[in-house]
Amino acid sequence: MGMHNMATQFMRVVEAVANADDLAAAMTAVTEQLGFQYFALTHHVDIIAASGSAIRLHNYPARWADYYDRNALGVSDPVHRASHMTSVGFPWSRMSDLIPMTREDHRVLAMGRDQGIGDGFTVPAHVPGEARGSCSFANEAGRPMPNEMLPLAQLAGMFAFEGARRLWAMRGGLQMPPRPVLTDRQRDCVLWVARGKSDWEISLILGVGEETVARHIKQACERYGVNKRTYLVILTLFDGTLTFSDIFRRRYYPFPE
Amino acid sequence: MLHVVQSAARPESDAVLRAMFEARKSVFVDLLKWDVPVLDGRYEVDQFDDVHAAYLILAEPDGAHLGSARLLPTMRPHILDSFYAELCEEAPPQSPDTFEITRFCLDRRLSARERRQVRDTLVTALADHALATGITAYSAIAEMGWCQQILAFGWRCMPLGLPKVIDGTMLAALRIEITPETPALLAAGRITASALRIDQRVAA
Repeated sequence: MGMHNMATQFMRVVEAVANADDLAAAMTAVTEQLGFQYFALTHHVDIIAASGSAIRLHNYPARWADYYDRNALGVSDPVHRASHMTSVGFPWSRMSDLIPMTREDHRVLAMGRDQGIGDGFTVPAHVPGEARGSCSFANEAGRPMPNEMLPLAQLAGMFAFEGARRLWAMRGGLQMPPRPVLTDRQRDCVLWVARGKSDWEISLILGVGEETVARHIKQACERYGVNKRTYLVILTLFDGTLTFSDIFRRRYYPFPE
Repeated sequence: MLHVVQSAARPESDAVLRAMFEARKSVFVDLLKWDVPVLDGRYEVDQFDDVHAAYLILAEPDGAHLGSARLLPTMRPHILDSFYAELCEEAPPQSPDTFEITRFCLDRRLSARERRQVRDTLVTALADHALATGITAYSAIAEMGWCQQILAFGWRCMPLGLPKVIDGTMLAALRIEITPETPALLAAGRITASALRIDQRVAA
């Protein structure tokens, strides 16, 4: 798959994520594709002090995360400070180009290496008026930096942070505008599309005209702002309008009870 | 007040346009140090400011500039296909219903709060203008920090290719989709922004 295709695919997924677990799953997959083991999406604030209102999502090994939290590195971490100096992603090994590194900074990095933290790549993310943040990709010590993937990592980090922003804003208890809601009939039609049936087959199953089926599906697509049935099915699965068990339900009642 | 100006062949002729070209000189030449032509030492005007360009301009009732953007038809030479085609994985978008947003300009006299308001109004105006005139997508070139802000507006964006460092700046080309859903997405983006805004959280 070309780099740009990978980027496009990842962005579609990020756009559709409904919760932090979905985003973490998408991030884990893209992190691996990029040639890294770990990712961390975070606002640069003292995470313990900020208690939940700040973005924080990562798959770092527990000992890394403990180390970061114990040392309240969110604010003073040289990686984070360096990311305030640029809008462009940088490998950690080149941090000294961006900020003067103090003796304490060198000590922090050495402690990180002792925990097995190797080189990483951090994409700064700054939206004016909000806490600064970043998306980092990292490897254990000894693994090579996947240099040829870094432009894609830049894009992925940027879109991932935006995905996280939207999720965390919802967590803050604010209502997002209503998600698309389908009528029962539209949902029935989408369900049968997901099960691989044609309009003609669906019309026989539901006992309505084929054109009616096509219209329901078209209107369902419009409610979700998409023009492809496959995309409609993916989105209805993501937001819970359909579930996998709906689609693969073994029992099927051909006649109404 | 929003002015939609279809052609600026003669900037001297209109106070609103003149104020915009002056504001552009102040932002892009004086502040951002772009190497672009300046007319009469006052106006930033380039070869794309011709009869084919359209402008959305937010101005005070007396004509003073607040914010503006230039729209170039992609069927004619525009910035992405003329100078930055390498930012696109495939051919740069070229379609009667795709316009390129360039020279997105917020007046330097504005305070941070006013800038946000003018920016949001201008972005909303871009979406409304597109829906009113049959534009289905915008293309745009942006430096990475600005890209993150463009995404944060909430509308649906896709990268047209991988970012590249050009003349010392990392740039990316984006495609911004405009559909009837876009105004609601922009409204959601403003809610996201206000939920995450630091000054309000501290005040709350």
